Amino acid sequence: MSTASTASAPAATTAGTTNRSRLRALSAQAWLVAPALIFLFIFFVLPLVDNGQRSFVVGDNHWSLANYNKLFFDRYYLGVLGQTIGLSVVVSAICLVLGYPLAYYLVRYAGRWRSLIIFLLVAPLLTSIIMRTFGWRVIFARRGMLNNFLIETGLIDAPIHFLNGPISVIVGLVHVLVPFMVLSIASVLQGINPRLEESAQILGAGRTRTFLLVTLPLSLDGIGTGTILVFMLTCGSFVTLLLLGGGSIHTLPLLIYQQFNTTRDLSLASAMSNVMLVIALICLYIQLRFIRRKGVKG
Amino acid sequence: MRRALKSMPLLGLHLYVIAFFAFMLLPIVVVVLVGFSSTDYIVFPIEGFSLKWFWRVYEYKPFLQSFVVTFEVAIVSTVLAIILGVPAAIGLARSDHPAASVVMTMLLSPLSMPAIILGFALLFYLSMLGFGVSLLSLIIAHTVVAIPYIVRTVAAVYRSLAPSLEEVALILGASRWQTFRHVTLPLITPGISAGALFAMLLSIDNLPLSYFFGSPGTSTLPVVMLSYLENQFDPAIAAVSTLQLAVAVIILVVIERIYGLRGLSAA
Amino acid sequence: MIKFPRRDFLKATGAAGAAGLLSTLPSGAFAQNKPDRITVTSYGGVWETAIRDYFVADFKKRTGVDADVQLGNPNQWISQVKASPNKPPLDAVVATAELIIEAGRAGLVDKIDGAKLSNLKDVDKRFVDICEGWGVCFDYGAGGFGYHKGRVKNPPKSFVEFVDRTAKGEWTASMMTPNWNPATLFVIWALNDVYGGKLDDITPALDAIKRMKKNCIFWGSVTDFLTHLSSGEADIGIYPDGRVWAYYDTGAHWIDFINPSEGGVMIPVAIMKPKNAPDIAWEYINSMIAAEPQAKFAEKMNYGVTNNKVVYSDKVKPRITPWDKTRFPPIAEIGPHLSNWIERWNKEIGV
Repeated sequence: MSTASTASAPAATTAGTTNRSRLRALSAQAWLVAPALIFLFIFFVLPLVDNGQRSFVVGDNHWSLANYNKLFFDRYYLGVLGQTIGLSVVVSAICLVLGYPLAYYLVRYAGRWRSLIIFLLVAPLLTSIIMRTFGWRVIFARRGMLNNFLIETGLIDAPIHFLNGPISVIVGLVHVLVPFMVLSIASVLQGINPRLEESAQILGAGRTRTFLLVTLPLSLDGIGTGTILVFMLTCGSFVTLLLLGGGSIHTLPLLIYQQFNTTRDLSLASAMSNVMLVIALICLYIQLRFIRRKGVKG
Repeated sequence: MRRALKSMPLLGLHLYVIAFFAFMLLPIVVVVLVGFSSTDYIVFPIEGFSLKWFWRVYEYKPFLQSFVVTFEVAIVSTVLAIILGVPAAIGLARSDHPAASVVMTMLLSPLSMPAIILGFALLFYLSMLGFGVSLLSLIIAHTVVAIPYIVRTVAAVYRSLAPSLEEVALILGASRWQTFRHVTLPLITPGISAGALFAMLLSIDNLPLSYFFGSPGTSTLPVVMLSYLENQFDPAIAAVSTLQLAVAVIILVVIERIYGLRGLSAA
Repeated sequence: MIKFPRRDFLKATGAAGAAGLLSTLPSGAFAQNKPDRITVTSYGGVWETAIRDYFVADFKKRTGVDADVQLGNPNQWISQVKASPNKPPLDAVVATAELIIEAGRAGLVDKIDGAKLSNLKDVDKRFVDICEGWGVCFDYGAGGFGYHKGRVKNPPKSFVEFVDRTAKGEWTASMMTPNWNPATLFVIWALNDVYGGKLDDITPALDAIKRMKKNCIFWGSVTDFLTHLSSGEADIGIYPDGRVWAYYDTGAHWIDFINPSEGGVMIPVAIMKPKNAPDIAWEYINSMIAAEPQAKFAEKMNYGVTNNKVVYSDKVKPRITPWDKTRFPPIAEIGPHLSNWIERWNKEIGV
């Protein structure tokens, strides 16, 4: 009984309610949301107002749009912007493709191995990033494990340059971010009754059709969560880029780190972070609208 | 024959999972092995076996001290984020109000702020408020970034549940609190666990926020590890990572023994 | 299924967390108000051990006041002082000359004063001037060539030779990037100065790097140099002397260092006293520039120190680059050009 209405859940809530109870529900909702909203207003929005102002001050207290002019009209900085978003899209897509089957396995087949799988998933996050990078260096180096293996098996003739380029950066990022995708999807899949899939199959749908028509739409919220988290985390990461990319890939967080650490140009750093915040928020909003619409229509 | 054909995809899935974890564990195995190295420099494959780096971790006081601070901050900030985030997620998840997406975006926005900028801004702001460089400031900063994870994962799980379950409980005479306690909460637990796990893991690994609030009593493990590594490139860091893993295993085993298998694995 | 013990778990962790919070807060606040303790700073690892064992110990012996050592890096400490200028959480801060000048110009630092520092007379004036008078240097590193003795039999004697032979492909060089802050001096200023460039135009330095680029492997972090050399990915590179010798002492006896004939660039580490920090902090700074603890520091760290009276042991004497054989970069004047330098590096070198 419960499972049948799962798909159209959000629509059902609103269907038969009168305006008055809707209003009451809204004020109840407001009370639930208020504490978190107030907390973030005080400790997130207010501190950043100051930061926002700083980005318009250049040199000795002199108001200017120079920073933004540079970020939006200089070809180099536009490229950086593109690379930041491009990298996030690629990493999110790879995490989704790699993570979904694992999430499915975790929920449906793992049985008593579940805890072990979860532990193995999060283990990379528990080791220092610098040592983890060292691990990848050992594996990817010109005379490293992977190249040795590929040469011995005759798959390649000369060692491949994996390090200090996009390959090692993407591998390094996927390695730490895929758990966020898997667990986000798994926590939603968990709520889907397996009988729903069984019924679909009994009614004659093949495995693929069942997956595409039943399982996938129902887990869309999990996919959305996972994609948002991975996208945002990639957008903001710089340590992996720095350590595995050898500086060959330029993204906004990496430049922000440079401004902070080397040039001490906090005005430009603030402008970059504001640009990033706005772009990320737009992506976030679009993603949320998309999931919401899809979810409601089921 | 048909049966074998049918189980083919499942076999494929099993093989995929094994290959996947080989990928996940490969660099970690390197790290753990280096932790047991007997040389004073970092080299792989290791040239000899020894436990001396674990002794070094024990001996070098800042490691142990920051270990405690790190877990304290991670746990307290995650609990705070749960208290603030779960109601917000429930309030927003099923709302079709036009403002809902905007509010949700707002609650998730700390995800999109580069942590180094947030840390810097918060240091000045909290110092102005008089909190200064303290454990409280550190916890506030970590709570700000933990909230989005809880809100997002709980909202996703809650949205995928049937509202009829709660409605039935209410019709049967349960109070709102009872309904939440006995119906809603158990059902959204996978979301809370996943979100809490994310929040804790990222808190434990967070450098750019913790860095600005470091003091002799409030430096976290990543801060201490980075400052150690920059000046002394030896296997002690690998030993710390190995210990961190060991602590995680122990916590996991204990939780499992006490609360049964379903607890965490529901995530 | 409905009876979940989750709440008890949350309750327990919440209580444990709150208890931890309460137990740490008051003690932290107390430590700051207690007049017989000050807070000083240090880099981590062996640095911290040396700071504690030599400078803090000397300070404590002379004044009876103890010092807590805060780990981290100068950027963090200067930010913390800046955030609470009236009640700085730190009483004496170790930092690079560049950051000390920035903080000094922002009015956050007390000027170095010979009347308050009895040991200042034994320190060359250049070590105060390089900080514009806002701090005093206590040790320094010189950026020369660290290399693998086995693979580089005939090391380059000068920067010019290094650039030419790297460009020719005689070896692979492990090259630092400005993501590690000292690279702006060790590499960009060093090469620009050698090839006659001016501060407002680093084209000569960038040209040299472009020539070498195809035979370089660039770093992500400061330890990458050691990894590159030990794994065989690179053979030589510009690196500070002290770090080369520290690595040598861990058993990597294949590594060696040479100071180029033009002079490796000197990067000093200095100490300053934030405004509104208690006067006793001057005594700590006095310990940092005293001959006896500095000699012990040099012995342990393989870095040159600034007190003229220090006599290096036979072990470290051949290792330490005398400061008159180094080049002092005009740190105060470089500051305003850094944004431009980094932007050009990003656009033209691209790593």
